[in-house]
Amino acid sequence: MARILFDNVTKYYGSVKAVDRLNLEIVDKEFLVLLGPSGCGKTTTLNMIAGLEELSEGDIYFDEQIVNFMPPHIRDVAMVFQSYALYPHKNVFDNIAFGLKMRKYDRAEIDKRVRDAAARLHIEHLLDRLPSQLSGGQRQRVALGRAMVRQPSVFLMDEPLSNLDAALRISMRAEIKQLHHSMETTFVYVTHDQAEALTLADRIVVMQEGVVQQIGTPDEIYEKPENLFVASFLGNPPINLLEGELAAEGGKMVFQKGGFRMHFPEDMTVKLQAHTGRAVTLGIRPEDVNEQGAAMPGSAVSGTVDTVLPMGSEQYLSMTIEGTEVFFRLGKEHKHKDGDSVSLEVNRNRLHVFDKETRRSMLWG
Amino acid sequence: MSANMKNLRYRLARRFNYEARSAGLFILPVMSVLAVVAVFPIVYSLYTSFFSLKLTRPHRVPFVGFDNYTKVLGDELFWESVLRTVSFTLISVSAILILALFIALLLNETFRGRRFISAVILIPWAIPTVANGLLWKWIYDSGYGALNGLLMQLGLIDKYVTWLGDPGKTIPLISNAFVWKEVPLAAILILVTMKSIPADLYRAARVDGANLLQRFVHITLPSLKPGFMLVMIYETMMAIRHFDLFFLLTEGGPADASHVISWQIYVETFRNLSFGTGSAMSYILAIVTFALAYAIIRTLGRKI
Amino acid sequence: MSAQSTLFSERAEKWRFKSRFSERTRNAVIFSSSLILLVYVLAPVAWLLSSSFQSEAEIVSVPPHWIPHEPTLENFDAIFFQEFEEVTYDTRRKVDPAAGGYIPSTAKDLVPSMWNSFIVSVSVVILNLLVGIPAAYAMAKIRFWGRQASVYTILTTRVIPDIALVVPFFLVIKNLGLLDHVLSLIITYLAVTIPFTVFILVSYFESLPDELDKAARVDGCSRFQTMTQVFLPLALPSIVAVMLFAFLTSWNEFLLALMFTQTIASQTLPIVVASFTSDFTISFSFINAAGVVAIIPPVILALFFERYIVSGLTAGAVKG
Repeated sequence: MARILFDNVTKYYGSVKAVDRLNLEIVDKEFLVLLGPSGCGKTTTLNMIAGLEELSEGDIYFDEQIVNFMPPHIRDVAMVFQSYALYPHKNVFDNIAFGLKMRKYDRAEIDKRVRDAAARLHIEHLLDRLPSQLSGGQRQRVALGRAMVRQPSVFLMDEPLSNLDAALRISMRAEIKQLHHSMETTFVYVTHDQAEALTLADRIVVMQEGVVQQIGTPDEIYEKPENLFVASFLGNPPINLLEGELAAEGGKMVFQKGGFRMHFPEDMTVKLQAHTGRAVTLGIRPEDVNEQGAAMPGSAVSGTVDTVLPMGSEQYLSMTIEGTEVFFRLGKEHKHKDGDSVSLEVNRNRLHVFDKETRRSMLWG
Repeated sequence: MSANMKNLRYRLARRFNYEARSAGLFILPVMSVLAVVAVFPIVYSLYTSFFSLKLTRPHRVPFVGFDNYTKVLGDELFWESVLRTVSFTLISVSAILILALFIALLLNETFRGRRFISAVILIPWAIPTVANGLLWKWIYDSGYGALNGLLMQLGLIDKYVTWLGDPGKTIPLISNAFVWKEVPLAAILILVTMKSIPADLYRAARVDGANLLQRFVHITLPSLKPGFMLVMIYETMMAIRHFDLFFLLTEGGPADASHVISWQIYVETFRNLSFGTGSAMSYILAIVTFALAYAIIRTLGRKI
Repeated sequence: MSAQSTLFSERAEKWRFKSRFSERTRNAVIFSSSLILLVYVLAPVAWLLSSSFQSEAEIVSVPPHWIPHEPTLENFDAIFFQEFEEVTYDTRRKVDPAAGGYIPSTAKDLVPSMWNSFIVSVSVVILNLLVGIPAAYAMAKIRFWGRQASVYTILTTRVIPDIALVVPFFLVIKNLGLLDHVLSLIITYLAVTIPFTVFILVSYFESLPDELDKAARVDGCSRFQTMTQVFLPLALPSIVAVMLFAFLTSWNEFLLALMFTQTIASQTLPIVVASFTSDFTISFSFINAAGVVAIIPPVILALFFERYIVSGLTAGAVKG
């Protein structure tokens, strides 16, 4: 299948709009991540691809075919669930083989595919066991195996890693990415974990309350967020946000909040010129500062450190700027302690500006 | 395709799509069976209750509207049977609830022989009502019954007493037979509810310093409310309409002492052969049962 | 600090004493309550059993013999092996009917009636499953318009007292010529058993994880296959519980059978047993023996499947 197309798709649950006029084209073989907080509609969208939910308005196309009311067992999709949903009364082999059995593959073929997949996932030794006898990580692999053997056109994954502990999660991410490369199939992956999205995706669809906020590559989403929501959702620790106004100072545009000032570089000034006096939110990501620069007023953040949070390989500093708490990430060359006075040079090419009312970015999109 | 056509085809597809079709198919058997065996008789009874249908003169069946109902509701005999039903129900349901609670408390503990006891207590529930009836009739027998014999041997009475033949004792005795058979199921329903109370609640209470009685009053009892509700509704319904024991033990006597509503309906329908009024009575009973169940759900359910 | 630690050690000491004491009290309470419960439940049944083994002469002793002094099998003999004895003036005079020592010729009806009961009960169970399982699955797992209403409607059909069902059924059955036929019982018992069956099954199905349903459908199961391949095996405890309930209800049912059966062609066990109870001339010990025969099948079933009853009624035991 070359592509999946959502054409103005809306889904109601009673009177609640779970998905609002979604327009999305999923390209063949890409790894697409649906990212957003709980209730944003990402799982509903995934379920509509699978056919588990029926849309209320709009059309969904697989290639050129409308599949709106096609039931799931006819569509050629495979799915991995957050709770794995393994059949408790079947052993691992039968769990993995079930989809093939339902589609009437012959015994030899089933056996071969199941064992191949089991080998690939390192679970050959578990084929006789019941799900209740497996650990969480093992169950997850079985769930993956069950989807893999079908060799579907689309691979759907609904937060498959959220029930794993942190270390396992990182290694599984790598495995999933490898799986995508070797299977050369479209992957659609749902998660609320922005780090996961950034690691895995070819493209990310950020959603909130049923509405698409932005679609783009991880870089685009991270570096050119089109609205406040996207900017704050991605990045850990989250982007620092300061509310103030735009002012003009000697041909340059400036952000000011009380006594704090930040000068915009040339290319941004051009874009912001028309909006002197506008109330805006300034965004500075915690990693976009350093201690090496000259740290002049207008291009730096200065103040006293409220708390230092040592993080092993780096340190986080929390400060207050004009009443707003902000966090910054620094290397450990110069270890700080509470109460230190610091002046941090800001990388002004990486500033973000959002209109306070519309919450949209004023720099791009 | 024009926009209108597409819209129509769309909406038809929605209505009869796979989900709705399969759901419909799955429900069809049960609905059709119930339509025949449940809905039809219910509707037909209602229909009959508006006519004066007496098998003693089957060819004249005038439509009387609500007359049957007013006749029934105005009949003193009817209200007396209502009273007896109420006392039977009150006695039985309270006894069932209390006994079931204690049995459930016992079975909730772990101890050797618990499996044996849980199996054995099902015996009263499993036996046919007929057997239950004849069993207690035999025990209550005035000439040779075990109750008399036991009390005599224990020295509590000095000569045999009439039990079922005594109007003052009839309802409690029948109630005892009824309760004996119903308690096991009630106990299981409450036990099931008890087992779903999270252990953490008790642990928190113990850390807070609550003793056994306090834990019982503040955690167990409130958490059992759904179970109590279910048992209360179910057993009340069962008690109000219970017929078998009244037929087997006393046939409504002695001197109408056990002449409850269900017996009244039986007499009116099958002995007086007045189907119209019999149906009306059944309907009144049904409405009352429904209203009671509703009332219980509303009062207890809201407090949860 | 030291005041606090002495307070603590004092309380620890008191606790150690109390716990040993309360351990023994707990055991005593459990033991005595179990005993009382066992007596409450078993004594009447034991007496029934004992009475059935007593001869006609012994059963009328005052005070009663709790354990038969001369146990006899004559009552059971009459039930299972009695040859039809011609009822003549002579034979009837042999036993004084007024003393209630008479064993009726209808005793031979007991075994055939059990067979009728069996046919009816098994048929009702099978029909309940055929009709109830798909309905329960659909109501629990498929989100369709009218789902909530269906469940309530089904439950509401049981609000009407059974007596009200008799007249309409009677007229239809008479017109169909099915009076005195087991089929009439099978059909009417469906009305009594199906609502409860559906209620139990729906609760249990609802407790099974939704995601299993989704996984099966994505794996290629139609709705029907999902039901049979995935949910049926998992719902086994509730299905066994439902079978047991439906069987026992049908086996024990009295009122409808009373109304719709006339001869041994269709009379079920409760009817035949009841006919003995209302006849004052029949021997007490025989009645009790009939009672014992009547209770054995259901009791055995209940004891055998006891553990499914609790687990079938408890939702939420399965995790995906």
